[in-house]
Amino acid sequence: MPDYEAPQTIPKPTTEPGRIARFDPWWLLVFGVVGLLAILIAGKPDPFRRIAVFVTDGIWVTIRITIVSFVLILIAGLIGGLGRIAKNPLIHGAASLYVEIVRGVPLLVQLIFIYYAAPQLLTAIGEGIASAIPALAGPAGLLIGIQLDPFVAAVFGFTICYGAYMSEIYRAGIQSIPKGQMEAARSLGMSYTQSMRYVILPQAVRVILPPVGNEFVALLKDSSLVSAVAVADLTRRGREFMSTTLLSLETWTLVALIYLVMTLFSSRVVSYIERKMSVGK
Amino acid sequence: MENDIIIIEDAHKSFGRVKALTGVSLRVGRGEVVVIVGPSGSGKSTLLRSINHLETLDRGRIVVDGIPLTQAENINRVRAEVGMVFQQFNLFPHLTVVGNILLAQRIVRRRTAAEAEKIAHELLEKVGIPEKADSYPSQLSGGQQQRVAIARALAMQPKVMLFDEPTSALDPEMIKEVLDVMLDLARDGMTMVVVSHEMGFARAAARRIVFMDEGRIVEVGPPESVFTNPRHERTKLFLSRILR
Repeated sequence: MPDYEAPQTIPKPTTEPGRIARFDPWWLLVFGVVGLLAILIAGKPDPFRRIAVFVTDGIWVTIRITIVSFVLILIAGLIGGLGRIAKNPLIHGAASLYVEIVRGVPLLVQLIFIYYAAPQLLTAIGEGIASAIPALAGPAGLLIGIQLDPFVAAVFGFTICYGAYMSEIYRAGIQSIPKGQMEAARSLGMSYTQSMRYVILPQAVRVILPPVGNEFVALLKDSSLVSAVAVADLTRRGREFMSTTLLSLETWTLVALIYLVMTLFSSRVVSYIERKMSVGK
Repeated sequence: MENDIIIIEDAHKSFGRVKALTGVSLRVGRGEVVVIVGPSGSGKSTLLRSINHLETLDRGRIVVDGIPLTQAENINRVRAEVGMVFQQFNLFPHLTVVGNILLAQRIVRRRTAAEAEKIAHELLEKVGIPEKADSYPSQLSGGQQQRVAIARALAMQPKVMLFDEPTSALDPEMIKEVLDVMLDLARDGMTMVVVSHEMGFARAAARRIVFMDEGRIVEVGPPESVFTNPRHERTKLFLSRILR
Protein backbone atom coordinates (compact mmCIF):
# COMPACT_ATOMS: atom_id res chain seq x y z
CA MET A 1 0.00 0.00 0.00
CA PRO A 2 1.46 3.38 -0.89
CA ASP A 3 2.25 5.82 1.85
CA TYR A 4 -0.67 7.89 0.83
CA GLU A 5 -3.27 9.16 3.19
CA ALA A 6 -6.80 8.18 2.22
CA PRO A 7 -8.71 11.20 1.01
CA GLN A 8 -11.48 12.57 3.14
CA THR A 9 -14.39 10.65 1.70
CA ILE A 10 -17.22 11.88 3.83
CA PRO A 11 -18.46 15.27 2.69
CA LYS A 12 -19.19 17.89 5.27
CA PRO A 13 -22.84 17.82 6.28
CA THR A 14 -24.70 20.54 4.50
CA THR A 15 -27.65 21.63 6.57
CA GLU A 16 -30.30 23.07 4.37
CA PRO A 17 -31.40 26.52 5.46
CA GLY A 18 -34.50 26.54 7.62
CA ARG A 19 -34.40 22.85 8.37
CA ILE A 20 -34.07 21.93 12.00
CA ALA A 21 -32.40 18.61 12.74
CA ARG A 22 -35.22 16.09 12.73
CA PHE A 23 -35.95 14.16 15.90
CA ASP A 24 -36.36 10.54 14.99
CA PRO A 25 -39.62 9.30 16.61
CA TRP A 26 -38.16 5.81 16.86
CA TRP A 27 -35.89 7.05 19.60
CA LEU A 28 -39.09 7.35 21.64
CA LEU A 29 -39.51 3.59 21.39
CA VAL A 30 -35.99 3.06 22.70
CA PHE A 31 -36.64 5.38 25.62
CA GLY A 32 -40.04 3.81 26.19
CA VAL A 33 -38.59 0.32 26.55
CA VAL A 34 -35.78 1.60 28.77
CA GLY A 35 -38.42 3.35 30.89
CA LEU A 36 -40.47 0.17 31.21
CA LEU A 37 -37.36 -1.70 32.34
CA ALA A 38 -36.59 0.98 34.92
CA ILE A 39 -40.15 0.91 36.22
CA LEU A 40 -40.10 -2.87 36.60
CA ILE A 41 -36.74 -2.86 38.38
CA ALA A 42 -37.50 0.09 40.63
CA GLY A 43 -41.15 -0.69 41.27
CA LYS A 44 -40.85 -4.39 41.93
CA PRO A 45 -37.26 -5.02 43.04
CA ASP A 46 -38.20 -8.54 43.99
CA PRO A 47 -37.71 -10.35 41.65
CA PHE A 48 -36.82 -7.90 38.84
CA ARG A 49 -33.89 -6.24 40.52
CA ARG A 50 -32.53 -9.64 41.52
CA ILE A 51 -32.83 -10.89 37.97
CA ALA A 52 -31.18 -7.79 36.56
CA VAL A 53 -28.25 -8.05 38.93
CA PHE A 54 -27.90 -11.75 38.21
CA VAL A 55 -27.80 -11.37 34.40
CA THR A 56 -25.71 -8.20 34.21
CA ASP A 57 -22.43 -10.01 33.55
CA GLY A 58 -24.27 -11.93 30.81
CA ILE A 59 -25.18 -8.63 29.13
CA TRP A 60 -21.52 -7.73 28.90
CA VAL A 61 -20.64 -11.13 27.50
CA THR A 62 -23.34 -10.73 24.86
CA ILE A 63 -22.08 -7.26 23.91
CA ARG A 64 -18.46 -8.36 23.86
CA ILE A 65 -19.10 -11.42 21.77
CA THR A 66 -21.20 -9.43 19.32
CA ILE A 67 -18.66 -6.65 18.84
CA VAL A 68 -15.57 -8.84 18.67
CA SER A 69 -17.28 -11.19 16.22
CA PHE A 70 -18.59 -8.33 14.13
CA VAL A 71 -15.15 -6.79 13.62
CA LEU A 72 -13.83 -10.16 12.47
CA ILE A 73 -16.92 -10.72 10.32
CA LEU A 74 -16.32 -7.45 8.51
CA ILE A 75 -12.78 -8.58 7.69
CA ALA A 76 -13.80 -12.14 6.74
CA GLY A 77 -16.62 -10.78 4.58
CA LEU A 78 -14.28 -8.44 2.73
CA ILE A 79 -11.87 -11.27 1.98
CA GLY A 80 -14.71 -13.58 0.96
CA GLY A 81 -16.41 -10.89 -1.12
CA LEU A 82 -13.22 -10.03 -3.00
CA GLY A 83 -12.72 -13.76 -3.55
CA ARG A 84 -16.22 -14.10 -4.98
CA ILE A 85 -15.53 -11.45 -7.63
CA ALA A 86 -11.97 -12.64 -8.37
CA LYS A 87 -11.22 -13.68 -11.95
CA ASN A 88 -8.83 -16.40 -10.80
CA PRO A 89 -11.00 -19.57 -10.91
CA LEU A 90 -9.21 -21.12 -7.93
CA ILE A 91 -9.85 -18.14 -5.63
CA HIS A 92 -13.36 -17.70 -6.96
CA GLY A 93 -14.08 -21.41 -6.50
CA ALA A 94 -12.73 -21.50 -2.95
CA ALA A 95 -14.74 -18.43 -1.94
CA SER A 96 -17.92 -19.77 -3.55
CA LEU A 97 -17.49 -23.16 -1.90
CA TYR A 98 -17.08 -21.48 1.49
CA VAL A 99 -20.21 -19.39 1.03
CA GLU A 100 -22.32 -22.28 -0.24
CA ILE A 101 -21.30 -24.71 2.51
CA VAL A 102 -21.70 -22.25 5.35
CA ARG A 103 -25.06 -21.00 4.13
CA GLY A 104 -26.40 -24.54 3.99
CA VAL A 105 -25.71 -25.47 7.64
CA PRO A 106 -27.65 -23.97 10.57
CA LEU A 107 -25.67 -21.58 12.75
CA LEU A 108 -26.42 -23.53 15.92
CA VAL A 109 -25.09 -26.72 14.34
CA GLN A 110 -21.92 -24.88 13.24
CA LEU A 111 -21.34 -23.52 16.73
CA ILE A 112 -21.80 -26.92 18.32
CA PHE A 113 -19.58 -28.49 15.68
CA ILE A 114 -16.75 -26.04 16.29
CA TYR A 115 -16.91 -26.32 20.06
CA TYR A 116 -17.56 -30.04 20.54
CA ALA A 117 -16.71 -31.82 17.29
CA ALA A 118 -13.84 -29.86 15.72
CA PRO A 119 -11.32 -30.67 18.51
CA GLN A 120 -11.99 -34.38 17.95
CA LEU A 121 -11.58 -33.93 14.23
CA LEU A 122 -8.25 -32.14 14.71
CA THR A 123 -7.08 -34.84 17.13
CA ALA A 124 -7.91 -37.52 14.58
CA ILE A 125 -6.06 -35.60 11.86
CA GLY A 126 -3.07 -35.07 14.14
CA GLU A 127 -2.91 -38.74 15.06
CA GLY A 128 -3.27 -39.72 11.42
CA ILE A 129 -0.37 -37.50 10.36
CA ALA A 130 1.79 -38.63 13.27
CA SER A 131 1.35 -42.30 12.50
CA ALA A 132 1.68 -41.88 8.73
CA ILE A 133 4.71 -39.57 8.74
CA PRO A 134 6.64 -40.01 12.01
CA ALA A 135 8.93 -37.12 11.05
CA LEU A 136 5.97 -34.73 11.41
CA ALA A 137 4.89 -36.14 14.79
CA GLY A 138 6.06 -32.96 16.56
CA PRO A 139 3.96 -30.41 14.68
CA ALA A 140 1.08 -32.89 14.30
CA GLY A 141 1.02 -33.26 18.10
CA LEU A 142 -0.13 -29.66 18.33
CA LEU A 143 -3.45 -30.68 16.79
CA ILE A 144 -4.12 -33.34 19.41
CA GLY A 145 -6.23 -32.52 22.42
CA ILE A 146 -6.99 -28.91 21.61
CA GLN A 147 -9.62 -27.55 23.98
CA LEU A 148 -11.21 -24.37 22.69
CA ASP A 149 -12.24 -21.66 25.08
CA PRO A 150 -16.05 -21.37 24.68
CA PHE A 151 -15.81 -17.65 23.97
CA VAL A 152 -13.16 -18.18 21.29
CA ALA A 153 -15.13 -21.03 19.75
CA ALA A 154 -18.24 -18.86 19.63
CA VAL A 155 -16.44 -15.92 18.04
CA PHE A 156 -14.84 -18.28 15.55
CA GLY A 157 -18.19 -19.83 14.68
CA PHE A 158 -19.89 -16.46 14.17
CA THR A 159 -17.01 -15.20 12.05
CA ILE A 160 -17.21 -18.19 9.75
CA CYS A 161 -20.98 -18.20 9.46
CA TYR A 162 -21.73 -14.49 9.29
CA GLY A 163 -18.56 -13.98 7.22
CA ALA A 164 -20.21 -15.98 4.45
CA TYR A 165 -23.34 -13.84 4.47
CA MET A 166 -21.21 -10.73 4.73
CA SER A 167 -19.20 -11.89 1.68
CA GLU A 168 -22.37 -11.81 -0.35
CA ILE A 169 -23.19 -8.33 0.91
CA TYR A 170 -19.73 -7.06 -0.02
CA ARG A 171 -19.93 -8.78 -3.39
CA ALA A 172 -23.28 -7.22 -4.20
CA GLY A 173 -22.06 -3.84 -2.99
CA ILE A 174 -18.91 -3.93 -5.10
CA GLN A 175 -20.82 -5.14 -8.14
CA SER A 176 -23.35 -2.35 -7.74
CA ILE A 177 -20.64 0.21 -8.51
CA PRO A 178 -20.72 0.95 -12.26
CA LYS A 179 -18.02 -0.79 -14.30
CA GLY A 180 -16.84 2.59 -15.57
CA GLN A 181 -15.48 3.45 -12.13
CA MET A 182 -12.97 0.62 -12.22
CA GLU A 183 -12.15 1.40 -15.85
CA ALA A 184 -11.56 5.06 -15.09
CA ALA A 185 -9.30 4.18 -12.16
CA ARG A 186 -7.36 1.62 -14.18
CA SER A 187 -7.05 3.98 -17.13
CA LEU A 188 -5.28 6.42 -14.82
CA GLY A 189 -2.63 3.80 -14.18
CA MET A 190 -3.86 2.61 -10.78
CA SER A 191 -3.51 -1.09 -10.01
CA TYR A 192 -6.48 -3.32 -9.28
CA THR A 193 -5.78 -3.15 -5.55
CA GLN A 194 -5.38 0.62 -5.57
CA SER A 195 -8.58 1.04 -7.58
CA MET A 196 -10.47 -1.14 -5.11
CA ARG A 197 -9.00 0.62 -2.11
CA TYR A 198 -9.47 4.22 -3.22
CA VAL A 199 -12.33 4.16 -5.74
CA ILE A 200 -14.59 1.12 -5.46
CA LEU A 201 -14.68 0.24 -1.76
CA PRO A 202 -15.31 3.79 -0.46
CA GLN A 203 -18.39 3.87 -2.70
CA ALA A 204 -19.43 0.29 -1.96
CA VAL A 205 -19.33 0.95 1.80
CA ARG A 206 -22.16 3.44 1.46
CA VAL A 207 -24.21 0.98 -0.52
CA ILE A 208 -23.76 -1.89 1.91
CA LEU A 209 -24.22 0.07 5.09
CA PRO A 210 -27.95 -0.75 5.51
CA PRO A 211 -27.55 -4.53 5.04
CA VAL A 212 -24.40 -4.50 7.18
CA GLY A 213 -26.35 -2.76 9.91
CA ASN A 214 -29.06 -5.40 9.65
CA GLU A 215 -26.42 -8.08 10.04
CA PHE A 216 -25.21 -6.44 13.24
CA VAL A 217 -28.67 -6.50 14.76
CA ALA A 218 -29.21 -10.08 13.58
CA LEU A 219 -25.87 -11.08 15.10
CA LEU A 220 -26.79 -9.47 18.40
CA LYS A 221 -29.88 -11.67 18.53
CA ASP A 222 -28.17 -14.80 17.23
CA SER A 223 -25.51 -14.38 19.90
CA SER A 224 -28.04 -16.00 22.25
CA LEU A 225 -27.19 -19.29 20.54
CA VAL A 226 -23.82 -19.32 22.29
CA SER A 227 -25.67 -20.32 25.44
CA ALA A 228 -25.60 -23.79 23.88
CA VAL A 229 -21.80 -23.91 23.90
CA ALA A 230 -21.20 -23.00 27.53
CA VAL A 231 -20.77 -19.26 27.11
CA ALA A 232 -22.40 -17.41 30.01
CA ASP A 233 -24.19 -14.80 27.92
CA LEU A 234 -27.44 -13.03 28.73
CA THR A 235 -29.60 -15.95 27.61
CA ARG A 236 -27.63 -18.54 29.56
CA ARG A 237 -27.64 -16.41 32.68
CA GLY A 238 -31.38 -16.06 32.34
CA ARG A 239 -31.73 -19.80 32.07
CA GLU A 240 -29.56 -20.30 35.14
CA PHE A 241 -31.67 -17.85 37.14
CA MET A 242 -34.87 -19.49 36.01
CA SER A 243 -33.70 -23.00 36.89
CA THR A 244 -32.94 -22.01 40.48
CA THR A 245 -35.98 -19.79 41.08
CA LEU A 246 -38.53 -21.15 38.59
CA LEU A 247 -39.62 -17.55 37.87
CA SER A 248 -40.02 -18.13 34.11
CA LEU A 249 -42.35 -15.26 33.25
CA GLU A 250 -40.43 -12.61 35.15
CA THR A 251 -37.01 -13.81 34.02
CA TRP A 252 -37.79 -14.02 30.31
CA THR A 253 -39.78 -10.81 30.30
CA LEU A 254 -36.75 -9.01 31.62
CA VAL A 255 -34.30 -10.82 29.35
CA ALA A 256 -36.46 -10.10 26.30
CA LEU A 257 -36.72 -6.42 27.27
CA ILE A 258 -32.94 -6.16 27.65
CA TYR A 259 -32.43 -7.67 24.19
CA LEU A 260 -35.04 -5.31 22.81
CA VAL A 261 -33.24 -2.29 24.25
CA MET A 262 -29.96 -3.42 22.70
CA THR A 263 -31.40 -4.15 19.25
CA LEU A 264 -33.53 -1.01 19.09
CA PHE A 265 -30.57 1.08 20.18
CA SER A 266 -28.22 -0.48 17.62
CA SER A 267 -30.64 -0.10 14.75
CA ARG A 268 -31.09 3.56 15.70
CA VAL A 269 -27.33 4.04 15.66
CA VAL A 270 -27.10 2.27 12.29
CA SER A 271 -29.68 4.50 10.67
CA TYR A 272 -27.99 7.56 12.17
CA ILE A 273 -24.69 6.55 10.55
CA GLU A 274 -26.50 5.88 7.29
CA ARG A 275 -27.95 9.38 7.28
CA LYS A 276 -24.56 10.90 8.09
CA MET A 277 -22.90 9.08 5.24
CA SER A 278 -25.52 9.78 2.62
CA VAL A 279 -25.23 13.55 3.10
CA GLY A 280 -23.73 15.32 0.10
CA LYS A 281 -24.17 12.31 -2.16
CA MET B 1 12.50 5.98 -30.93
CA GLU B 2 9.94 5.51 -33.63
CA ASN B 3 8.00 8.47 -34.82
CA ASP B 4 4.66 6.73 -34.43
CA ILE B 5 3.48 6.83 -30.84
CA ILE B 6 0.72 4.24 -31.31
CA ILE B 7 1.25 1.21 -33.48
CA ILE B 8 -1.61 -1.25 -33.90
CA GLU B 9 -0.92 -4.32 -36.00
CA ASP B 10 -3.50 -6.85 -37.11
CA ALA B 11 -5.79 -6.43 -34.10
CA HIS B 12 -8.44 -9.12 -33.64
CA LYS B 13 -11.08 -9.23 -30.93
CA SER B 14 -14.30 -11.19 -30.49
CA PHE B 15 -16.95 -11.02 -27.83
CA GLY B 16 -18.34 -14.53 -27.87
CA ARG B 17 -19.41 -15.02 -31.47
CA VAL B 18 -19.48 -11.33 -32.27
CA LYS B 19 -16.35 -10.17 -34.06
CA ALA B 20 -15.54 -6.65 -32.92
CA LEU B 21 -12.18 -6.27 -34.64
CA THR B 22 -11.02 -8.30 -37.61
CA GLY B 23 -7.49 -7.40 -38.49
CA VAL B 24 -7.15 -3.69 -37.81
CA SER B 25 -3.82 -1.94 -38.33
CA LEU B 26 -3.30 1.73 -37.59
CA ARG B 27 -0.41 4.03 -36.78
CA VAL B 28 -0.74 7.34 -35.03
CA GLY B 29 2.09 9.85 -35.18
CA ARG B 30 3.23 12.14 -32.39
CA GLY B 31 1.04 15.20 -32.12
CA GLU B 32 -1.47 13.81 -34.56
CA VAL B 33 -5.23 14.01 -34.06
CA VAL B 34 -7.14 11.05 -35.45
CA VAL B 35 -10.91 10.89 -35.41
CA ILE B 36 -12.55 7.47 -35.73
CA VAL B 37 -16.07 7.38 -37.13
CA GLY B 38 -18.38 4.54 -38.02
CA PRO B 39 -21.76 3.00 -37.28
CA SER B 40 -22.41 1.52 -33.86
CA GLY B 41 -20.96 -1.95 -33.55
CA SER B 42 -18.23 -1.13 -36.04
CA GLY B 43 -15.54 -1.79 -33.44
CA LYS B 44 -14.37 1.78 -33.03
CA SER B 45 -14.78 1.86 -29.24
CA THR B 46 -13.20 -1.57 -28.91
CA LEU B 47 -10.20 -0.37 -30.88
CA LEU B 48 -9.85 2.71 -28.71
CA ARG B 49 -10.22 0.75 -25.49
CA SER B 50 -7.65 -1.81 -26.56
CA ILE B 51 -5.04 0.96 -26.84
CA ASN B 52 -4.91 1.19 -23.06
CA HIS B 53 -5.79 -2.44 -22.56
CA LEU B 54 -9.31 -2.04 -21.21
CA GLU B 55 -9.97 -4.68 -23.85
CA THR B 56 -7.48 -7.50 -24.37
CA LEU B 57 -6.84 -8.42 -27.98
CA ASP B 58 -7.28 -12.01 -29.09
CA ARG B 59 -4.54 -11.56 -31.67
CA GLY B 60 -2.34 -8.76 -32.86
CA ARG B 61 0.09 -6.30 -31.38
CA ILE B 62 -0.16 -2.84 -29.86
CA VAL B 63 2.88 -0.71 -29.07
CA VAL B 64 2.45 2.58 -27.24
CA ASP B 65 5.43 4.92 -27.11
CA GLY B 66 7.77 2.01 -27.72
CA ILE B 67 6.24 -0.15 -24.98
CA PRO B 68 4.53 -3.31 -26.24
CA LEU B 69 1.23 -4.01 -24.51
CA THR B 70 1.90 -7.66 -23.93
CA GLN B 71 3.44 -8.17 -20.52
CA ALA B 72 1.23 -7.42 -17.56
CA GLU B 73 3.82 -5.18 -15.93
CA ASN B 74 3.79 -2.89 -18.94
CA ILE B 75 0.08 -2.23 -18.75
CA ASN B 76 0.05 0.13 -15.80
CA ARG B 77 3.07 1.93 -17.27
CA VAL B 78 1.28 2.45 -20.56
CA ARG B 79 -1.96 3.45 -18.89
CA ALA B 80 -0.22 6.17 -16.95
CA GLU B 81 0.97 7.62 -20.28
CA VAL B 82 -2.40 7.29 -21.99
CA GLY B 83 -5.25 9.47 -20.76
CA MET B 84 -8.78 8.28 -21.38
CA VAL B 85 -12.04 10.21 -21.43
CA PHE B 86 -15.27 8.23 -21.34
CA GLN B 87 -18.73 8.83 -22.68
CA GLN B 88 -20.20 8.61 -19.18
CA PHE B 89 -17.45 10.79 -17.61
CA ASN B 90 -16.86 8.20 -14.85
CA LEU B 91 -15.86 10.76 -12.28
CA PHE B 92 -15.42 9.37 -8.77
CA PRO B 93 -18.63 10.51 -7.05
CA HIS B 94 -17.25 10.21 -3.50
CA LEU B 95 -14.45 12.69 -4.16
CA THR B 96 -14.56 16.41 -4.86
CA VAL B 97 -13.47 17.75 -8.22
CA VAL B 98 -9.98 18.37 -6.86
CA GLY B 99 -10.01 14.98 -5.14
CA ASN B 100 -10.73 13.36 -8.50
CA ILE B 101 -7.76 15.10 -10.08
CA LEU B 102 -5.44 14.44 -7.13
CA LEU B 103 -5.99 10.73 -6.59
CA ALA B 104 -3.94 9.15 -9.35
CA GLN B 105 -1.32 11.89 -9.21
CA ARG B 106 -0.65 11.00 -5.59
CA ILE B 107 -0.86 7.23 -5.95
CA VAL B 108 0.59 6.60 -9.38
CA ARG B 109 2.82 9.63 -9.97
CA ARG B 110 3.68 9.89 -6.28
CA ARG B 111 3.48 13.65 -6.27
CA THR B 112 3.33 15.61 -3.04
CA ALA B 113 -0.02 17.05 -2.02
CA ALA B 114 1.12 20.60 -2.76
CA GLU B 115 2.51 19.73 -6.17
CA ALA B 116 -0.58 17.71 -7.16
CA GLU B 117 -2.93 20.42 -5.98
CA LYS B 118 -1.07 23.06 -7.95
CA ILE B 119 -1.41 20.98 -11.10
CA ALA B 120 -5.09 20.33 -10.36
CA HIS B 121 -5.87 24.03 -10.04
CA GLU B 122 -3.92 24.91 -13.18
CA LEU B 123 -5.85 22.31 -15.14
CA LEU B 124 -9.21 23.44 -13.79
CA GLU B 125 -8.23 26.91 -14.96
CA LYS B 126 -7.39 25.45 -18.35
CA VAL B 127 -10.74 23.67 -18.73
CA GLY B 128 -12.53 26.78 -17.51
CA ILE B 129 -14.07 25.76 -14.18
CA PRO B 130 -11.64 26.82 -11.43
CA GLU B 131 -14.55 27.78 -9.19
CA LYS B 132 -15.82 24.19 -9.02
CA ALA B 133 -12.71 22.80 -7.33
CA ASP B 134 -14.48 21.84 -4.11
CA SER B 135 -17.79 20.73 -5.60
CA TYR B 136 -18.83 17.13 -5.88
CA PRO B 137 -19.41 15.65 -9.36
CA SER B 138 -23.16 15.34 -8.69
CA GLN B 139 -23.32 19.13 -8.31
CA LEU B 140 -21.95 19.74 -11.82
CA SER B 141 -23.59 19.75 -15.23
CA GLY B 142 -22.64 17.07 -17.71
CA GLY B 143 -20.39 19.41 -19.64
CA GLN B 144 -18.60 20.46 -16.48
CA GLN B 145 -18.19 16.86 -15.40
CA GLN B 146 -16.65 15.95 -18.73
CA ARG B 147 -14.23 18.86 -18.48
CA VAL B 148 -13.20 17.66 -15.02
CA ALA B 149 -12.69 14.20 -16.51
CA ILE B 150 -10.41 15.72 -19.15
CA ALA B 151 -8.48 17.60 -16.46
CA ARG B 152 -8.18 14.41 -14.42
CA ALA B 153 -6.65 12.59 -17.37
CA LEU B 154 -4.35 15.53 -18.23
CA ALA B 155 -3.04 15.67 -14.67
CA MET B 156 -1.10 12.50 -15.37
CA GLN B 157 0.68 14.40 -18.16
CA PRO B 158 -0.13 11.72 -20.69
CA LYS B 159 1.52 11.48 -24.06
CA VAL B 160 -1.71 10.38 -25.72
CA MET B 161 -5.34 11.20 -24.99
CA LEU B 162 -8.14 8.83 -25.96
CA PHE B 163 -11.69 10.11 -26.18
CA ASP B 164 -14.54 7.59 -26.33
CA GLU B 165 -17.59 9.47 -27.61
CA PRO B 166 -16.94 12.31 -25.16
CA THR B 167 -19.99 14.38 -26.13
CA SER B 168 -22.57 11.66 -26.79
CA ALA B 169 -24.04 11.79 -23.28
CA LEU B 170 -24.25 15.57 -23.22
CA ASP B 171 -27.14 17.94 -23.80
CA PRO B 172 -26.61 19.86 -27.05
CA GLU B 173 -25.83 23.17 -25.36
CA MET B 174 -22.96 21.59 -23.43
CA ILE B 175 -21.25 19.90 -26.33
CA LYS B 176 -19.44 23.03 -27.44
CA GLU B 177 -17.75 23.70 -24.09
CA VAL B 178 -16.23 20.23 -24.16
CA LEU B 179 -15.23 20.43 -27.82
CA ASP B 180 -13.58 23.80 -27.19
CA VAL B 181 -11.38 22.22 -24.54
CA MET B 182 -10.52 19.41 -26.94
CA LEU B 183 -9.69 21.87 -29.71
CA ASP B 184 -7.35 23.71 -27.35
CA LEU B 185 -5.64 20.46 -26.55
CA ALA B 186 -5.23 19.66 -30.22
CA ARG B 187 -3.70 23.09 -30.85
CA ASP B 188 -1.27 22.50 -27.99
CA GLY B 189 0.02 19.52 -29.93
CA MET B 190 -1.49 16.69 -27.88
CA THR B 191 -1.69 13.34 -29.63
CA MET B 192 -5.38 12.46 -29.67
CA VAL B 193 -7.46 9.53 -30.82
CA VAL B 194 -11.13 10.47 -30.76
CA VAL B 195 -14.19 8.34 -31.37
CA SER B 196 -16.85 10.89 -32.17
CA HIS B 197 -19.39 11.95 -34.72
CA GLU B 198 -18.78 15.64 -34.16
CA MET B 199 -17.94 16.55 -37.73
CA GLY B 200 -17.19 20.15 -36.83
CA PHE B 201 -14.50 19.03 -34.45
CA ALA B 202 -13.19 16.50 -36.94
CA ARG B 203 -12.86 19.11 -39.67
CA ALA B 204 -11.22 21.62 -37.38
CA ALA B 205 -8.80 19.39 -35.53
CA ALA B 206 -8.29 16.03 -37.22
CA ARG B 207 -5.39 15.34 -39.49
CA ARG B 208 -6.94 12.03 -40.46
CA ILE B 209 -10.39 10.49 -40.36
CA VAL B 210 -10.62 6.74 -39.91
CA PHE B 211 -13.89 5.19 -41.06
CA MET B 212 -14.61 1.79 -39.56
CA ASP B 213 -17.31 -0.72 -40.35
CA GLU B 214 -17.81 -4.32 -39.21
CA GLY B 215 -14.54 -4.50 -37.35
CA ARG B 216 -12.34 -3.16 -40.15
CA ILE B 217 -10.93 0.11 -41.27
CA VAL B 218 -12.71 0.92 -44.52
CA GLU B 219 -11.16 4.24 -45.34
CA VAL B 220 -8.53 6.60 -43.97
CA GLY B 221 -7.78 10.12 -45.13
CA PRO B 222 -7.81 13.83 -44.37
CA PRO B 223 -11.23 15.14 -43.29
CA GLU B 224 -11.91 17.14 -46.45
CA SER B 225 -11.42 14.18 -48.75
CA VAL B 226 -13.23 11.61 -46.57
CA PHE B 227 -16.17 13.88 -45.86
CA THR B 228 -16.61 15.51 -49.25
CA ASN B 229 -15.35 12.80 -51.51
CA PRO B 230 -15.53 9.36 -49.88
CA ARG B 231 -14.19 6.57 -52.03
CA HIS B 232 -16.22 3.72 -50.57
CA GLU B 233 -19.94 3.10 -50.86
CA ARG B 234 -20.26 2.29 -47.19
CA THR B 235 -18.56 5.51 -46.17
CA LYS B 236 -20.88 7.46 -48.46
CA LEU B 237 -23.94 5.77 -47.04
CA PHE B 238 -22.86 6.36 -43.45
CA LEU B 239 -21.94 9.99 -44.04
CA SER B 240 -25.19 10.69 -45.85
CA ARG B 241 -27.00 9.51 -42.75
CA ILE B 242 -25.12 11.54 -40.21
CA LEU B 243 -24.33 14.65 -42.21
CA ARG B 244 -27.87 15.44 -43.36
